[in-house]
Amino acid sequence: MVSTVAVAKPSTADELARRLHDAASQKLAVVPVGGGRASGMGGAPERLDVELHTTRLDRVIEHSQADMVVSVEAGITLEALQHELAKSAQFLPLDPFSSPGHTIGGLLATGWTGPLRLRFGSPRDFLIGIRVALPDGTLASGGGRVVKNVSGYDMMKLHYGALGSLGVIVAASFKVFPKPLRDVTVSSEGGWDAADQALTMPVAPSALEIFSDGRVLARYTGSGDAVDRVVRDLGWPVEDHSIWERHSGRAPARWARIAAPRSALRGLVEGLPRGAGWWASPGIGVAHWAIASDTPSVKEVRARTETAGGSLVMMAAPDDFMRDVGAWGTPPPTIDIMRRLKHAFDPDHVLNPGRFVV
Amino acid sequence: MGLPNQVAEELRRIVGRAAVIDSANDLRIFERDGSIEGAMPDAVVLASTTEHVAGVIKVAAKHKIPVVPRGAGTGLSGGAVTIRGGIALQVTRMRRILNIDPVAQTAIVEPGVVNQELSLVAAQQGLFYAPDPSSQKACTIGGNAAENSGGPHCLYYGVTTNHVLGMEIVLADGSVHWVSGDAPDRVGLDLCGVLVGSEGTLCAITKIKVRLLRIPPSIATMLAAFPSIETASQAVSAVIGHGIVPAALEMMDNVTVGAVEAHYHAGYPTDAGAVLLVEVDGTAETTRELTAAIGKILTENHGYAMREAQTPAERELLWAGRKGAIGALGRIKPNYYLHDGVVPRSRLPQVLSAVGEIGEHYKLPVANVFHAGDGNLHPNILFDMRDRDVMQQVESAGEEMLRAVVEMGGALSGEHGIGLEKSAFMPWIYSEDDLGAMHRVKDVFDPNGILNPGKIFPDPSRKAVHLAGRTGLAIEAKWW
Repeated sequence: MVSTVAVAKPSTADELARRLHDAASQKLAVVPVGGGRASGMGGAPERLDVELHTTRLDRVIEHSQADMVVSVEAGITLEALQHELAKSAQFLPLDPFSSPGHTIGGLLATGWTGPLRLRFGSPRDFLIGIRVALPDGTLASGGGRVVKNVSGYDMMKLHYGALGSLGVIVAASFKVFPKPLRDVTVSSEGGWDAADQALTMPVAPSALEIFSDGRVLARYTGSGDAVDRVVRDLGWPVEDHSIWERHSGRAPARWARIAAPRSALRGLVEGLPRGAGWWASPGIGVAHWAIASDTPSVKEVRARTETAGGSLVMMAAPDDFMRDVGAWGTPPPTIDIMRRLKHAFDPDHVLNPGRFVV
Repeated sequence: MGLPNQVAEELRRIVGRAAVIDSANDLRIFERDGSIEGAMPDAVVLASTTEHVAGVIKVAAKHKIPVVPRGAGTGLSGGAVTIRGGIALQVTRMRRILNIDPVAQTAIVEPGVVNQELSLVAAQQGLFYAPDPSSQKACTIGGNAAENSGGPHCLYYGVTTNHVLGMEIVLADGSVHWVSGDAPDRVGLDLCGVLVGSEGTLCAITKIKVRLLRIPPSIATMLAAFPSIETASQAVSAVIGHGIVPAALEMMDNVTVGAVEAHYHAGYPTDAGAVLLVEVDGTAETTRELTAAIGKILTENHGYAMREAQTPAERELLWAGRKGAIGALGRIKPNYYLHDGVVPRSRLPQVLSAVGEIGEHYKLPVANVFHAGDGNLHPNILFDMRDRDVMQQVESAGEEMLRAVVEMGGALSGEHGIGLEKSAFMPWIYSEDDLGAMHRVKDVFDPNGILNPGKIFPDPSRKAVHLAGRTGLAIEAKWW
């Protein structure tokens, strides 16, 4: 029998919750879909009966300029949200790779970030409210629309990076940021030494990227005098800002993310196969590897990364490659607790079966 | 009351005879935290090691006895109060700083380490620990992690959860685990993120790995007076609206300034309707440019009597006044009841005027000292517990103030936690389904409900809400 995949594109959160519940009550497997930019992440679905798209949930619910808080539906693209915020000289400091086209819901579910995380942290740090559809058909919110809040459990952290394994994110609220007073990007060809130099300047860079060809990009933001001084002291040539847009467009077909304690990152990157293409954020502890080699070398690098206390996660790969390497690597020691959480929210395992670690 | 002898003996075998307290007189010290309501534990256990904590929780699990982890007891929401009796699990003997790594800029501490002590020790390496609750001279990092505490400098640096990299925890079955660590983007669910701020209801914390930051080379602290709370609030919005997020942006009202000045002589202008304390840090260029810009904005918004601390000692004194403000309020009345609702920043003037009206209605003095930049209120209702029937009035006034916060799109607590005192109000902001999802988390971690029972979730048998109980205000207000 050939299985057919139903495609649902609900236009309200209530409708999405209803469709999820309908599927769950028939034990049909549901894969939530946003912009599809990160769809290569995770294991191949064990089952797939319903694709639940969030793309018609694309409204800005409220942007309070004075409060610097924005609430959006999950299917809005990052670019559409930034466009709205830019009208009041504000922005969400999120610049994921494989852009453009990410939805906010997809970015929260996958936990994908970019270079600006060095200064602003990840959405884990500025996501202040969340609303999630659960397989039992309920819509559950956590947090709120204030920038500081300890009212009840931090449900944002529960769903952030959970790859839709516990519920489908339908809306989110963020603390947003004012456009910096000054924003300058400089570059060098000086490799790791140059990266270290840029990282330890009196003003810390807001983004610092190093590439396998030895090139370094450093972005300084903040008060005008301080940024100008650090740029002068470094003496590196100034780059146009469009360089960041091009950087965010990177999306290798075979792609791994290496995340490790910062002190271990350089060693791990230098241990990649000779001639490997990569870029890294040494101030964060993350490197991205455009894999040209075979699966045994990926397994070796993963083993070294895990020994150093980190992880190697596949961001994209052809199915057979992904199956051979495995999407996530060794499960964390607390996997049993995670499984119990999964069971409490999705007892029939209808959400993204096989893709995440639970 | 009291524990069965057999249980007390089991506890003594784990921690030693002297580390179990169960005589009524000695227990009284552990009846309260920094909030209003108290309840006696049946026993206090002074744990010195992770093994002690795990052993005690195993005993509690076996006998289904409540166990409440407790640090310095400075909490302001009843989080450490043993409202259903049982064991107060005191961790203040676990006070070693186990490691400071100046290269990775991390520290590993035991839960009883006092907040300020970590920053003092880290300062030898040019580093500091950013979250700085006003009680930082006494409160513990374990308690801070359990409550997800804030502090004045969280405006720029973020609250405790933004600085905890990982924790060693003990679950309700006595098992010990590490959650997270110093590598980013860890595989699996973010258990550490869920556990920080869970108020001792999901686990006990036995080690905390935190991020340390480089001490900025230059710090500038400014004070400005304003004719009223409204003008000061407007100035706060204007500063942030100009794209400047200071390290701290604190407000004190006239009542507070009077008490602080009488106590500290820090040079606070006592004629002002409100005072703003603003701090910026970074390089010398940054602080110079930002103080000039902020000074201009404050002046444009009716700020006067502006001055900048010229020496570290002067800066210390300005902060001593702010952080010691609540103590200084004892000059007006011996007791205070402090709420910490949060509103969207632009609603500050409205909510503060509502708070003032509520105080007048109940004839109770109210002093406001709070994190204006975050919209995080701290109205202190001042009273004398010896006055007849005053407690009822104080509680009603507090409830009305929280109600005003919620009606303006706010939340019940910015940094003190829900604990005992605000659990009844949770249905104001969360629907049954919202609370149901949180309860699923509770049931996974603590299926028998032995960890800090009676907190966070409403317990209708204990405390009823006086004001009309609409539910799920978040949804009614069409936030989503």
